Amino acid sequence: MVNIEELIDTLAQDTTAVKPAPHPYLLSLKWMGWSVAYLLVSLMFMGLRPDMAIKLHEPWFVAEVMALGGIFIATSVSAALLSFPDMHQMRRLAFAPVMAFVLFVLVMFLAWQADNPPAPLPVHSFECTIGIALFSLLPTVWTLYAMRKFASTHYHWAGSTALLAAFSIGALWLRLYEINDSIMHVVEWHYLPMIAFGIAGFGLGRTFLKW
Amino acid sequence: MTDQTDNFAALMRQSQNGDQRAYAGLLRETSRFLRPFLAKRLSFTNEVEDLLQEILISIHKARHTYDGKRAYKPWVYAIAKFRLQDYLRAHYSDQLHHAVELSELEESLPEHVTETGISYESISVEVQKLPEKQATILQLMHQEGYTAKEVAEKMGMNESAVKVAAHRAYKVLRKKLER
Repeated sequence: MVNIEELIDTLAQDTTAVKPAPHPYLLSLKWMGWSVAYLLVSLMFMGLRPDMAIKLHEPWFVAEVMALGGIFIATSVSAALLSFPDMHQMRRLAFAPVMAFVLFVLVMFLAWQADNPPAPLPVHSFECTIGIALFSLLPTVWTLYAMRKFASTHYHWAGSTALLAAFSIGALWLRLYEINDSIMHVVEWHYLPMIAFGIAGFGLGRTFLKW
Repeated sequence: MTDQTDNFAALMRQSQNGDQRAYAGLLRETSRFLRPFLAKRLSFTNEVEDLLQEILISIHKARHTYDGKRAYKPWVYAIAKFRLQDYLRAHYSDQLHHAVELSELEESLPEHVTETGISYESISVEVQKLPEKQATILQLMHQEGYTAKEVAEKMGMNESAVKVAAHRAYKVLRKKLER
């Protein structure tokens, strides 16, 4: 092993001008921009659910979509903050997804209460999970790839929030595309798998973001 | 204090612009305040130096993630703590692996010593050449008959650290005696 002085000299000789990383807000805005563009293009090709005009007048559907959007924004910002070693010294903001999830659970609970008599369950089940997973694959790849350029000291959490951001945009896409009003179905086959993938992100974070 | 903080931030900004002298100065200052931070958390000087080197390399790799508008020290300490945790995690998992080897060693050591006529006294000269902490541990365990737990209490270390230090010392001694 070389001694510290030698190492410092080597590192100093090795250094060249580096471009400082963009601010995490800008970074998350960029990621969100790409994801929203991807969502819009997909919806343009595949179409919106035919009853969208009616659904937009249903307060619980609008609340659900907005709460899901809240998760997407909070997890994107959090993933950007977690890409920096010191979380850009905005530690509290990195925990924003917790609040977004609390709000989302509350909205889903109230929507379930309001769903009386309950909407019939659709005939399909796991196909929705597969659809969300396939849709979210691309945002997952580009977010993790972008995060690798930084230096996360919380790579488990960073991986998890990155996957939640990607899968929330996937869940949003399916909610805007599929004709389905069963709260039980969306919880079971859309949102619980989304959370499960977020948990799997802990492992992916270790694999892809460890430096 | 604020002056110093501003100074670090200014040095880092210069470093990001490719100023090698500012960068060397910054790394020197950084290693100065990180060394006591690590020394408090690690038992041996060589561990401190090894980890300090790793941290400096990590700072070098991550220097683009520092924003000149923020304080420098929280950024550095975030990297230092991250590398320290990594190091300790690896160290303890390694220790678990060594714990098996150590128990095997403890079983075979008395028999081996009797067969070859090696006693603590006969190798005490070699023991004294070991780093001070390791020599003290071996002396307490093999000359004065203390257990690893008792040695740990006496030296203000944890039991595992004592066992690891003893194990390292055994390895060094074994190599020397095999020559």
